[in-house]
Amino acid sequence: MKKWICIICGYIYDEALGMPDHGIAAGTSFESLPDDWTCPECGSPKESFEPYVG
Amino acid sequence: MSTSSATEGRVEIDGRIFNPYSKDFIRSPWATWEKMVLEYPVAWHKDLNMWVVSSHDACTEMLKNNLFTPSYKAWEHAPPEKPEAEKNDFERSLDHGLFATRTQDHLRLRKLALPAFSKPVMGKIDAKIRDLVTGVFDEIGEPEQFDAFSMIAEKLPVRAIARMVGVPTNKEAFFHEFAVSVIKSTRINLPLKERQAAIQASLPGFAYFREVIAQRRAAAHPGDDFVGNLIGASEGDDRLGDYDIMAMIQAVIVAGSDTATDLHTYAIQGLLGNPEQYRLLRQRPELMENAIIELLRVGAFGKTPQFRFATQDIEFRGQQIRKGQSILLNLTAAWVDPQKWDRPRQLDITRRLDGNLVFGAGAHFCIGTYLVRVQGSLMIGELMKRFPNAELVNGNGDVEYDYNHHNARRINRLLVRSNVRPAQDRFIPESTVETSH
Repeated sequence: MKKWICIICGYIYDEALGMPDHGIAAGTSFESLPDDWTCPECGSPKESFEPYVG
Repeated sequence: MSTSSATEGRVEIDGRIFNPYSKDFIRSPWATWEKMVLEYPVAWHKDLNMWVVSSHDACTEMLKNNLFTPSYKAWEHAPPEKPEAEKNDFERSLDHGLFATRTQDHLRLRKLALPAFSKPVMGKIDAKIRDLVTGVFDEIGEPEQFDAFSMIAEKLPVRAIARMVGVPTNKEAFFHEFAVSVIKSTRINLPLKERQAAIQASLPGFAYFREVIAQRRAAAHPGDDFVGNLIGASEGDDRLGDYDIMAMIQAVIVAGSDTATDLHTYAIQGLLGNPEQYRLLRQRPELMENAIIELLRVGAFGKTPQFRFATQDIEFRGQQIRKGQSILLNLTAAWVDPQKWDRPRQLDITRRLDGNLVFGAGAHFCIGTYLVRVQGSLMIGELMKRFPNAELVNGNGDVEYDYNHHNARRINRLLVRSNVRPAQDRFIPESTVETSH
């Protein structure tokens, strides 16, 4: 399970956790998020994310 | 809906509907903003000579569309560009700023700068500025009442930013001078001569930071503070240049000392004006971050919050916007849009704030968001500790405004009744009192 960071605001999407409050189950890969999914913090598109090693 | 149409189909308004400089508006913008979001969400303002976008949905859409740029160079009335060799430090820093760069460069800058503005680095700044916060409250003491603007809001942000960018204490007056000059130089409502004078006055400050950057680069390690993090930031061989870093410092000064001033007054006004919310926050300090965003949302202190410029002819929500035209993003109206928020003017620190625009949205989302939360948390925490029973004098703090502020409904007086009992009247537990019987 990987983590992804939004380079605009620093929000981290953790595949292991998902976003249950937003209807995204734990274990949902970043790639399988809808194309129009946006960062919940800043609203940036998926293209603003990159793999996070931290 | 059109008051009159100079261009067919163009929705137009004028100062009779929206005048951000009127004293009545500055004191009480609510009815105007509601009219704007519901009846004129996208409209051409004939007196301001710009578009005004006011509803939550329209602002969100525009913020996320990079065809609308914050770079003033795209403005149809922008002054002609000077040759590079004739530019001074201020102008070069502005060119390297996050608002001015092209999309690809902007993403590169945001990525390199992200660690310096991240939650962990901002968390360390908490430790660096905590004594400034307690110091400001020590200066207040235990009076019957005090002015939250002059005693807290006017002092704390500039001191905090100076500390954050590593200015030594004996240079704080010099830094304050620099901060004021930088802010004045970007005030578009000031006469050109005054702005030009402010630009000249800012140049010693830029020279100082150029020297600091050179020293840090020459050192074995640039340091792990804010400036050190910017210098050390790298992506492969890519690093931030001197003017990239000075532009970040400039931006942090303007936003972190000017806008943060309003953060403090409006947070205090919001909490003390809603005693049950103040009590709730004392009981549930884990709500602090959410409370800060909600306080900003409800305070809605922006007057002319943000600007964008169209990079090409574009149809936006049925309106034809021409290349080069300017747009006022009326974000603070959007923050209280009843189409987005239930009971929009009600302060509710438990409110879910998904999709809020308090820090903007999209590529230019506020880079200082964590700094705001750190500063706000420290100040509110100290306020709750020292003045748990405080209230606004006469219910409204006898509030006064600086009607000439360049972009905010700047409160410059907010009187707080401390309700601190004098030391000699405080209850002393029986077990500590010696009695004769």
